[in-house]
Amino acid sequence: MENSPTIFIVPTGIGCEVGGFAGDALPTAKLLASASGCLITHPNVMNGGTLSEKDKNIFYVEGYSLDRLAKGEIALKRVKQQKIGIIFDSAIEKEILVRHLQVADACVSTLGINVHSYVITKKPLNIVIDSDSSKISGGTIENPDTLIDAGKCLIEKGVTAIAIVAKFPDDSDSLETNIYREGKGVDPIAGVEAVISHLISKFLKVPCAHAPALNPIELNENLDPRAAAEEIGYTFLPSVLIGLSNAPDIVELPAKNESISLHPDQIESIVVPNGALGGEAVLAGIEKGLNIISVKNQNTLKVTNEFYDYPNLFEVDNYLEAAGIILAIKKGINLSSVKRPLKKIQQCSYSD
Amino acid sequence: MKLSSVDYYLDWPVSIKLKNLREFIITNLEKKGDLIRWSIVDIQNSIDSFGTKKLKIKAVIAN
Repeated sequence: MENSPTIFIVPTGIGCEVGGFAGDALPTAKLLASASGCLITHPNVMNGGTLSEKDKNIFYVEGYSLDRLAKGEIALKRVKQQKIGIIFDSAIEKEILVRHLQVADACVSTLGINVHSYVITKKPLNIVIDSDSSKISGGTIENPDTLIDAGKCLIEKGVTAIAIVAKFPDDSDSLETNIYREGKGVDPIAGVEAVISHLISKFLKVPCAHAPALNPIELNENLDPRAAAEEIGYTFLPSVLIGLSNAPDIVELPAKNESISLHPDQIESIVVPNGALGGEAVLAGIEKGLNIISVKNQNTLKVTNEFYDYPNLFEVDNYLEAAGIILAIKKGINLSSVKRPLKKIQQCSYSD
Repeated sequence: MKLSSVDYYLDWPVSIKLKNLREFIITNLEKKGDLIRWSIVDIQNSIDSFGTKKLKIKAVIAN
């Protein structure tokens, strides 16, 4: 059966109504994967704390590598199993570390995932969250080299995919955290999480994803269902290990004698929230003339097609409609033919 | 390596076509350092007669 490879992006840390919380775009990803037959999406779409799911039609690709795929720099190679190593931030307290190690053991014993080994960073990563992250979450880490050194250590031991667990400041009582938990704000730590995983992707070129280490927080009876997946248990590591367990290998292009499951030239569409057209993958897709399906999904940005006037952009009201567009593209159906009124075909004039 | 989070403001002249916008941004941003993460977070139409648009880009850069 034919498919229509599609990239699905929900940018991290911009408060998307769908996908801005804890794996709450996963059902949408499954829908779009079913419609397209081949969906490429990033960890924060798929990771719901302890909850996640595998789907044979979904490629789990970290955001930096996803951008490189859209730019045509890499291809993807399907694998049956990754050998996962975990980097733990040395700032993590012993009890929280032990909880995470037990979760990793559980993923081996219960799910059959190949978690090979772990390493603790030589220095704490020292997370710095941007003070002005009420609209877009952002920040950095003070010791990026120690993160990369830890990743190199794992790769030297034969690890093929890396999970990172970083210690985040205890801000469970902060206004931003409480607003987020009640479904009204931006995930305050998502921007730094992206930086951490981007560093591993950029410098080590292996599949990777990040889970934060946070202290258990007080019960909130007004919890929004979309944030609920992060309230189960002590760690967010299970979804990361599930996603990485068979994440595709990164194949640098041009590739010699390397089998490829998905070449960037096969990608036909990118699905992205309306207002979030300023990311590198979308701009790279526009360069290639790909279909951009812009979905109404309330967020803090207003970078719309009003400023681009890109002709191959479809604005739709929801992801159900986006799935319909993908199906039409996959089957080669002229979208105009299923809309009314239907215009007559036009006579062309010869240009001078 | 040191990371910094920056807000970068850039004029997008009409002479730069949409399909060249990404390269235009990268060329300008890379003068600041090695790019880890970036995105256009705001665009404003210009009030001048040249049609220049104003971009706000949020980036994390390594030096």
